[in-house]
Amino acid sequence: MSNALGVLRRNSSIVLAFAVAGALFVAGTVQATDFASYTHVRTVLISASFIGLVGFGQTLCILTGGIDLSIPATLAGSAVLTAFLANGKSSELLWIIPLIVGLGAVVGLINGLGVAYAGVPPIIMTLGMNSAIQGLLLIYTHGGFASAPPQGLISFVNGNTLSLSTDLLIWIGVAAFATILLSASVFGRRLYAVGTNPVAAFLAGVNVRRVLLVPYIVSAVGGALTGVLLLGFLGQAFVNIGDEYLFSSAVAVAVGGASILGGRGHYIGTVAGAIILTLIAANLQLLSLGTSAIQISYGLILLTTVYIAGLRLGRR
Amino acid sequence: MTGPPWADSAITLRTLRRTRPLFRGFTRADLPLYLPYGYVLALGLAIYFLQSRLINGPGALDARFALIVPLALVAFGQTLVMFTRGIDLSIGGLISMASALLATHLNAGGGLMILDLLAILALAVLVGALNGALIAYTRLQPFIVTLATWSIWGGVAFAILEVEGGAPAPGLISAVQGNIAGVPKSVWAVLLLFAVWRWLRPTRFITDLTAIGSDEGRARLMGVHIVRRKIQAYALSSALAALAAMWVTAQTAAGAPNGGDQFILSSIAAVVLGGTSIFGGKGSVASSIVGAITFLMIPDLVFALNLTSFWSIFFQGLILIVAVTLNSMIQTRAGRR
Repeated sequence: MSNALGVLRRNSSIVLAFAVAGALFVAGTVQATDFASYTHVRTVLISASFIGLVGFGQTLCILTGGIDLSIPATLAGSAVLTAFLANGKSSELLWIIPLIVGLGAVVGLINGLGVAYAGVPPIIMTLGMNSAIQGLLLIYTHGGFASAPPQGLISFVNGNTLSLSTDLLIWIGVAAFATILLSASVFGRRLYAVGTNPVAAFLAGVNVRRVLLVPYIVSAVGGALTGVLLLGFLGQAFVNIGDEYLFSSAVAVAVGGASILGGRGHYIGTVAGAIILTLIAANLQLLSLGTSAIQISYGLILLTTVYIAGLRLGRR
Repeated sequence: MTGPPWADSAITLRTLRRTRPLFRGFTRADLPLYLPYGYVLALGLAIYFLQSRLINGPGALDARFALIVPLALVAFGQTLVMFTRGIDLSIGGLISMASALLATHLNAGGGLMILDLLAILALAVLVGALNGALIAYTRLQPFIVTLATWSIWGGVAFAILEVEGGAPAPGLISAVQGNIAGVPKSVWAVLLLFAVWRWLRPTRFITDLTAIGSDEGRARLMGVHIVRRKIQAYALSSALAALAAMWVTAQTAAGAPNGGDQFILSSIAAVVLGGTSIFGGKGSVASSIVGAITFLMIPDLVFALNLTSFWSIFFQGLILIVAVTLNSMIQTRAGRR
């Protein structure tokens, strides 16, 4: 029992994040009774899942003190390319999805090599990569126009498995995997060590560069697979499909209590962060405020959470 | 990190070789700052031989420089921020917001136009000072602070103007067109920026900024007012971005609520192509302006090669990745991380 309390105390920022999510849920329910209805909760969770899924790679990047700004293009590239190549035929997905994963891995590898081996600031490397991918996508698909996705993908993503939306089931799986990776694996230990102090990690025998490489590969592959899921969920693909995830993925990680300086945070916090952001958007919609208000609130939330995290770090 | 303990403090043979002047006042370490002049020459020759009218056709000069002016302005500010080892992403949101305002609420004609433009400039200085203050006082990383303010001002831009359009003041539109003494105003504007840099370069302001970027702790010990200088650098970056917004809004005769975002990538690329160190402390605004010219020659080259315009999006991203990788490898080798 005292052990459980200790875990809660050590992860107080994550507990706080879930409390904020709860408060936002109550705030929404007060404004509109069907906010708490099964269908609405399901919609909120599904919207949150896309932020959460791209947030996995982003969490790893931020834990090492980096960031991945190429998520929008990776996500859009995979969604548009999948729809373009499949041309409505579900059977084609059998080779398209491995191809997408491979392309994602290449993108992540280039980002990671630049950051880990050439010492490029992650923000500049991934910003350039975002434009390069977008350009390649537009060239290959002649302007990014793709046909509707195969019916099989649409029914897979929107269907139910074990009476739960497939998409949510995948998210739960990713969260479980991430928890094991971060809390109970050697790699997780090394990741936190590199994020806290790369020099100390190097002296302790960690291959710092190889550890720095992994988050960018995970982020790009994760972004690519999320693109396929988002394609199935929305039933269409367009070049700007990933743009909103540029801010939301980073803000979700910060809101989840991770330190932008690296070394502190957990994916479970990002899960809470993704739900918080979606609930804020839903609440703003109830106040009939649109995308501009969402974007402004993302910025304000990012500033405040990062500032508070800095204060907490300074006190220690 | 891995070298012998004396390597950090002693002047090694390599440092000596790097700092020994090749010519008077020119060392090997300065080489990256002169590369962009070579890029412009090479790209210019390539475009000239492929499609000469892109270089010397009627109106070609004005059309090129009309695009160069705003990027040169933003790159000017971005360079100053990079001197301090910072980065300014918020110019994306700020340019969008200024453009939206110029096309809607602040588009009065006649003498009031000057007041509107001054209001935009004042707003920009305030916004930039806010960035600088947040970075200097809270010690948060520049990229995260300006990422947040990019999101905020970008959101405000959309709240002011939902889609591209609006009507900027007619006086503003005509102000950027035409010639002075037979030379397009856009060319004069770029020349003016070079002159401003010539005047600014030897000042205490620039020395302080590069001192902060080289080693903030030592700069503080030398008596540099870190907070004031950072606020000034970010305020100047925002003010220059606001001027760029005025130019673009006048040039296109419309407001664009997301028109600023492209300047984030392009201004960073211009600075990096110009050879200014991304790790602070060293660089040149003049080289960044030439870097901006290089960056904007890519679409011309793509056009001259008869490729679809999408290739320029790819090449502009690629050139940033390649240039920044080379830049940081050179800087890391020089022990400047």
